[in-house]
Amino acid sequence: MKNRGLAFKLILFTLSGTMAVLLAAFAYFYHSSKDSMMQYAEENARNLTHSTVYQIEKVLVGVGKVPLNYASLLSGRNFEAEDIVRIVERMVSANPEIYGAAIAFEPDAFAAGAHYFAPYCCRKHDGHLTNVMLGDASYHYFTMDWYQIPRELNQAAWTEPYYDEGGGNMIMASFSVPFYKGKDGEKRFQGVVTSNIALNGLQEIVSAIRLYRSGYAFLISRNGVFITHPDSRLVMTNSIFSIAEEKKSSLLRRIGKDMINGGEGLVALQSGLLLRDKCRLYYAPLSSIGWSLGVVIPEHELLEGVNRLGRMVILIGLAGVFLLTIMVMLIARTITRPLKELSATTVEIARGNLDTRLPDILRGDEIGTLARSFEEMRLALKDYIKHLTETTAAKERIESELKIARNIQMSFLPKAFPPLPGKNRMEISARLEPAREIGGDLYDYSLIDDDHLFFAVGDVSDKGIPAALFMAVTKTLLKGIAETGMGPSVILNRCNLELCGENDSMMFVTVFCGVLDLRTGRLKYSNAGHEHPIIVRRDGQPEFLPVPEGFLLGVEEASSYQTMEIELKPGDMLIVYTDGVTEAVNAAGELYSHENLMATVRSCSSLSAEGIATEILASVKLFSSGIPQADDITVLSLSFTGAKV
Amino acid sequence: MELKGYKQDKFFIVKASGRLDATTATEFEKFCLESIQQGESMLVVDLAGLEYMSSAGLRSILVVGKKLKSAGGSLSFSSLTPNVAHVFSISSFGSMFTVYDSLEKALGNS
Repeated sequence: MKNRGLAFKLILFTLSGTMAVLLAAFAYFYHSSKDSMMQYAEENARNLTHSTVYQIEKVLVGVGKVPLNYASLLSGRNFEAEDIVRIVERMVSANPEIYGAAIAFEPDAFAAGAHYFAPYCCRKHDGHLTNVMLGDASYHYFTMDWYQIPRELNQAAWTEPYYDEGGGNMIMASFSVPFYKGKDGEKRFQGVVTSNIALNGLQEIVSAIRLYRSGYAFLISRNGVFITHPDSRLVMTNSIFSIAEEKKSSLLRRIGKDMINGGEGLVALQSGLLLRDKCRLYYAPLSSIGWSLGVVIPEHELLEGVNRLGRMVILIGLAGVFLLTIMVMLIARTITRPLKELSATTVEIARGNLDTRLPDILRGDEIGTLARSFEEMRLALKDYIKHLTETTAAKERIESELKIARNIQMSFLPKAFPPLPGKNRMEISARLEPAREIGGDLYDYSLIDDDHLFFAVGDVSDKGIPAALFMAVTKTLLKGIAETGMGPSVILNRCNLELCGENDSMMFVTVFCGVLDLRTGRLKYSNAGHEHPIIVRRDGQPEFLPVPEGFLLGVEEASSYQTMEIELKPGDMLIVYTDGVTEAVNAAGELYSHENLMATVRSCSSLSAEGIATEILASVKLFSSGIPQADDITVLSLSFTGAKV
Repeated sequence: MELKGYKQDKFFIVKASGRLDATTATEFEKFCLESIQQGESMLVVDLAGLEYMSSAGLRSILVVGKKLKSAGGSLSFSSLTPNVAHVFSISSFGSMFTVYDSLEKALGNS
């Protein structure tokens, strides 16, 4: 997830959230709508069922009134046979729904000797009426349903529906009403007034019920037999129970039972039972006749409207989500594109191309601010680096000049043993180990004439270029004054005066200088604040040379310097050094110290001047190995051999 | 290097400890010159804790000394450690500035 782009994340989260909300809303809407729809449909069905039942019953009751009336008529008085026939005829002719009528008497009830008396009139297809007399050996009407049932029940009764035998495929049902004669105070069953009623009118009423496209209504008889059904094959041949049996549905059987028991209700049925699809069944009884009306409502057709609406909503939702995706992508792009550009440019800049211009992002928002900040940073970086480059170049220039200066400085120092006529009367050697920085130690030696050697060792305060310049001036002064043949104290006095000039920074130099008479070994020397040299007499121990007191050069004009003298015997050695030797530091922070120096000199007192100088330097370097050298180290050794020319 | 300064009678005492070399000399110089600017002219520098002094240190002392001299004041030192005493003696600073064994002695003499 972490490697996915910004756009992807934006889209994912926005869409997930939106779709979740949409789905929730949609689910709620759909569910509620469905419920409302179902409720409405059920209400509708109930009303429809009731109104149909009412309609049908009205017809039936109306029709049933005819035989009822005549039955009560017959109960009142006696009629002649002719009258009876006429009554029967009237029953049919006056009532179009009555297809046939009969008044059947009990055996011998009408007239003695008349076993059967049952005038019957019926309407033929062509509309003519025909009268017959029912009852003979082949038609024992006493056992017929239409006769027996009312007699047994002592009340009017409808028979089960049946097909008309006369053809025409009409379904009939007979309504039979018993009539009685009161005799000797008790009622005696006389016979039955019966009328055959065509049920096609009912069928029409029920068939007219059209709910949605595949919804329908059906009537079942007292036994559950279909009286009307959109599928005419089922009429009179199947019952709700046979359907239940066929579909193996105990639910349907239960419903059938309830229906014929006069129950009323609403049931949900799965697909395949009464309809191909899922449906709802509303049923109500026709109490007067003992039948039941069922209204079947297809669920999906019912919900069609809701479903269609739902589909529309989903489509709109999807379209909306799609549009949203596009918009989010576009917006994300307005962020990621400049970011990509910026990062690409930054990579270029990181490579060192500080001149890469950042893309122009003229926006007021955070991206614009970022772009502007980047540009500012780039320019600042450019400036900084330019500055740094210049500074570094300048620094490198200075350092190279320092190197050159150092080289010049070192080149001033005499290296070689000055050539002397004939044999060597003395040996002089010096080592100067400069510190990292350009420094302020100096040494010098030269023959001021055939018999006199001038030498000096000095240490300028501090380090760096000022010290180096000061050193150069001092060295020149010392040599220059020495070459006029002046003694050491004069040299220092004069030098001091010159150096005291404009010296606010209080730079100073310590100097030890001496003039050795090569014929006699007489050494005249003077000191200006410098480390006391070590003198090693031949066959003697190293000792510090007593020096005249003298202040550092360059500070106090009034300073005065004195000369001291000693005699050097052949084999004597003088070692002059700077504090770079004694103040060299080791890793433990200890100073090399004068003690160490003394010990080193002692151990190599038999060496030549050069040997001693080299040895001391090596010893100091070993002592402070690993520690960067802080100060110049200078050692000058002078041995008087005294050899005569 | 640690520097501490306080007034006592007519003296301004500067206590320096640690090392007085090229890296700390400027600090020492500035410290003393500031006190001079604030009107002090009798400086006593106590070096009881100072274990090392380089030529840079000597130079800063000379600068301070020159400033005091032009202001008509004085600069003296006390409690030198052996290393520092050696440096003072070699460079004959003793001829320029008075050096006392202890701070009390330095304050005792006016």
